[in-house]
Formats: sequence, structure tokens, C-alpha cells
Amino acid sequence: MSEAANHVLLIEDNPGDADLVRLRLVEAKPTFDVSCVNRLSDGLTSLQEKPPMLVLLDLNLPDSQGADTFRKVLEKAPGVPVVILSGQDDEALAVKALHQGAQDYLVKGSFTSAGLERVMRYAVERQALLRSLEMSRKQQLDFKNQFLSHVSHELRTPLTCIHQFVSILLDGLAGEVSMEQRDHLRTILKSAHQLGAMVRDLLEATRAESGKIRIEPRCASMMDLVQTAVAMLQAAAREKKVGLEIRGDAAIPFVHGDPDRILEVLINLIDNGIKFTPAGGSITLQVSLVPTDPEFVYVSVADTGCGIEPAAKSLIFERMYQHPNSVDSSRKGLGLGLFIAKQLIELHRGRIWVVSDLGHGSTFSFTLPLYSLPKLLLPVITQAGVLRDALVLVKVELKSGSIPPRGNWKEVGPHCHELLQRCVFLDKDLVLPAMTASGSTETFFVVASTDMARAPIMTTRIREQLEKLPELKANCDLSVSVRAVSLPHTAADRSLEERVAEVAKRVTEMTRIALGESKLATN
Amino acid sequence: MSNEKILIVDDDPDLRKALRLRLRANQYNTVHAVDGYSAIAAAYKEQPNLIILDLGLPAGDGFVVLDRLQRDDKLSNIPVIVLTARDPQGNEQRALRAGATAFFQKPADNAELMDVIRATLPKSPSESSLPS
Repeated sequence: MSEAANHVLLIEDNPGDADLVRLRLVEAKPTFDVSCVNRLSDGLTSLQEKPPMLVLLDLNLPDSQGADTFRKVLEKAPGVPVVILSGQDDEALAVKALHQGAQDYLVKGSFTSAGLERVMRYAVERQALLRSLEMSRKQQLDFKNQFLSHVSHELRTPLTCIHQFVSILLDGLAGEVSMEQRDHLRTILKSAHQLGAMVRDLLEATRAESGKIRIEPRCASMMDLVQTAVAMLQAAAREKKVGLEIRGDAAIPFVHGDPDRILEVLINLIDNGIKFTPAGGSITLQVSLVPTDPEFVYVSVADTGCGIEPAAKSLIFERMYQHPNSVDSSRKGLGLGLFIAKQLIELHRGRIWVVSDLGHGSTFSFTLPLYSLPKLLLPVITQAGVLRDALVLVKVELKSGSIPPRGNWKEVGPHCHELLQRCVFLDKDLVLPAMTASGSTETFFVVASTDMARAPIMTTRIREQLEKLPELKANCDLSVSVRAVSLPHTAADRSLEERVAEVAKRVTEMTRIALGESKLATN
Repeated sequence: MSNEKILIVDDDPDLRKALRLRLRANQYNTVHAVDGYSAIAAAYKEQPNLIILDLGLPAGDGFVVLDRLQRDDKLSNIPVIVLTARDPQGNEQRALRAGATAFFQKPADNAELMDVIRATLPKSPSESSLPS
């Protein structure tokens, strides 16, 4: 047995009480090795230098009183069992410490050596049990996550094999296929796709649970994302004879979010809509702004399907909830889609909810934070409460010569953003978040506190930096263009907020024109 | 008709066969290797125009292969497309940084894979001299 097995730390400032406890300890077990200190600070030092099997603790000491005393001991040595030594009059305080994790308490002067020994033994045993319980819980969780990640990986190889050989047959690479055979092969392929989606969800849900999903927010066009999602699922909707349309007449602003993840959520919601809406029904997507909640955009996906039982409404965003009577004759999924969607939206600091009329349809809605240029600009383009004199907008465009772009195109955006940050003065220039652009162009804008005469210094610096992009040297046939335009002055008789908003508005207009997104202008 | 040679590196015989059928149907010549060690040897011997590389391989995994290819002047300019069952999170960025040109998770979309292969292969002189 280790030394600690007999070491008891007694923290007690009353010499009489300390002697009595020490006496009882020796009576109970002569081998107890007792250290006695009369101040909390000395007790904490001793805890660190020579961890005991147990602490006997008086809560009221010269340098610490009450619940605080226990809290500090717990912080220093979370695994060591603590038994409180309480006076006749402050038993309530000891009971409070029990709730905070103390193992037991003894009222001073009213315990025998046998009682003391028993309380201590039980305290040590309970603490050990607690620790092993906690450890096995953590091990179980780790094991589950590892297992799921392993399984989803291992499932992919046979799945790929099925996928590959069926498509080889379907594509006629192994000889002629009859119409009937083709039909059967399509069914196999569809099932393989479903299986693939489940494997992906499994991994994603595991990640969501262990907090490992990452998002990379940028400035993204919500309308583009909605249109992309609808285009991707239009064929599936048509096949089921379900209408799928977008409604929205206002100019839809940009959101600050990860476009891939937002698309994932949209696809999930539309896919569910198709699944639960009978032929002849319809799914309508709407993107709107709500005056009472000006910092968010509202997106809704409404179907005319079977609706959701009121009792189920709170459950559908949970893991593995499955609709009990899906109208779709095809099989169910794993019930992870909405769970993942909820995690993704919440990572963006948005909300997701459902309103449903049983038998008539459901509307799923979520919010995403709007991309707010004035908020980003304010600290940069003002100094001591005054708007800076001259402002310039620099446009940086990276264009790939081939479509689809060659090389590691996905890396270009983040790399470029990083390099641009190094070209500017962070206290007076602002690199705007990346814009979602067409597949072979990455566009960045910088709002710089400089005038047109001095702008070339900055554009040259940017060009020099960007020419160091590894992608430019390697296999990406990239071209870089850097251009600066002056931002017009704003009326000086208006408030600072109004003037910043005005600058933001102009920047927005100019960036949209530069991106050729005239479709986003108000109509 | 193109005569580009593609080296397939995968330890699963069925997946090698499927990929070979698919690539041959698209007029590519194929050679294959079954582990990391023989992948390097095959790259030397065959001088392929492109390598399709699995990551989970016996005798030196895909990252070891990528590293060896990058460090060798005779091999570093052969484009590598990674095709793996492994999770893109964590592996995609790492593979691209290690010199891969593209990353696909299995099962990959065939049309997309073929597009990237076409875009990645260096144009042969006979092909680029043809009017488009």
C-alpha cells in the first residue's frame, strides 16, 4: 500500500478540537499518519505536496469561511474525499457542502473513534466508486464514438464495391442490359445511395454529439443556396409528382454562414418534405426578413404532407426519431437528419423549429445571422468617434483558367484571406469575409483607410503577397487581379451611425456590381 | 483515343477491378499496385501520367506514398487523386497539403471523378494541337 493510504489531512484551527480528533484517529487505527494544519492556505499546500487518502475539514478557518473553504479544497484536489468537521451550530453549512460534493460530515465532540473510522472508510469507498463510475461512463462514450466512426468507415468499402459494379453494368460497360434488368439495377443503385447517406449521417451525428462539427462561416447568398438546393432536388420531387417552388420577393441579403452546411440543412428539410408529401402536394421555400428580429434571416420549408402529431413535435429534433407512419412506401432513414440540422443551425447561432397542422402539412423554419457590414465596419472606419476622411475599396479576384478548377481549389479561398490579412493594418483596414462566387472565381474585397493617391501602395503589396500563394506556383492556373476604387464621401451633417451605414450601403452596392449579382438588387 | 497511363493503388482487389473497367472504358491504360511499397516501385517503373491513391494501405499508408512521391524529383510532378473510404474531415486538407491534387471519398460519383481526371491529366502534345 502506498503512503497516501494512511495519510489523513486534518485542517482545523481550534487546538482543542484538533487534539481531540487526533486522539480519536489514533484510537481508531494507530497506523494513521495525521498531518494537522490550522490555516486553509497551509492545507492547500499540503494537499499538493502530499496527497492524503482523506481530508477532515473545518469550514471556518482564519483565512477562509463557510462554503468557500470546501470549494477551494475541491478545486485543489477534486479526487480526494472530504469529511466536514462541523460545530453544533453550523450543521446547515455542512449539509450544504454535502450537496457540493463533500462525502460526509461529523459534529465535533459527538463522535466515537469507531464512528469516525467508519465514516472515513465509507467516504473513501464512495469516492472510489464515484470515480470508477465516471471513468466507465467516459470510456463507454469514447468507445461508442470510436465504434461508430470505425463502422461507418468499414461499411464504405463494400458499399463502394456495390456502387461501382452496378454502375458498370448500368453504363453498359459489361455488355448489353435489358430494360427490365436496367430497372432492377437502378433499384440496387438507389439502395446503395440510401445506405451511403445513412453511413454519412451516422458519422455526422457522432461528431455532432462530441462537438466535433466545424463550420467555416463566410458571406453567403441565401437565395443562391435555396436555388441550388431546389435545383438538386427538383428531379426527385417531379418523380414523386410533388411541386417544389421558391417564394420570395424582397431583396434577400447575405448571411454569415458556412454555405456547405446551410445547403446540407436545406437539402435535408426539402428531402423530408418530399418524403412526407403525397403526390399532388407541394413544397414551398420562403426566405424572408422579420422586422422584429432584424439581425436574422428567416428561411422556411412548408409542405402539404401528413403533418406531425403535437406530441411528436418536441421529439423530432432528437436523435433517431422516426415518423411512425411515413407515407413513403420506401424505407425510413436512420432518423438523424433533423438532429444534425439542429446542431448545424445552432452552431451558426440560429434557431430551428416546426409548426404543423396534423393532416395538412408542416412548416420547418430556421434563422441564420445576417451578414452585417456596418457592424464590421464601425470600429475600422472611425477613429475617436469620427469617420475617416478617405476610404478605398480594393477588389481582389483570383480566377482559375480551367473549369472545374485544377489543383486544390478549396484551399485557395482560405489561403488568400489569410494573406490579405497580412497586407492590411487591422486597426484601419477591413478584409471582408469571402463572398461565395462562381465555381472558378474567388473574389475578396478590402475596405482600406487610404486615398486613391496612396492606394497603389496597397494594391502592389497585395499583388506581391498573393504571388506567393502556393496554389499559384503549383498546378492551379490562377490569375490575380487587384483594383482599387474610391468610396464617395458621405454627408457630414448626419450622425456617425448613419454615415457608417451609408458607407456600408455603398460598399454593398459596389461589391454586388463587381460580382455581377444584379439579380440581388431590389426588384 | 488517349494513351495516358493511370496507376491505381488500392488494396481491395474488387475496387481495383471496378476502377480498371471504368478507366479502360474511358480509353485510359491502367496499371496497379496493392500496397504503399509497391506503389512507389510502380510509379518509378511505369512513370504513369496520373495516380489514383487509396489512403488505408498495407506497407506504408497513402500519406507515406504522397510524401515519397513529393520528395522524388522524378515523381513529384505526377498528379495524385486520393480516393479513400476515410473521412474527409481531417484527411482532405492533410492530403491536399501533402501534394494531392484532389480528394474523393468512396463511393465517389463516377462522372465527377472522370471530369477531375480529365482536368488533371497534363494535356498530351497531340491533343492540345487539335482544334477544339
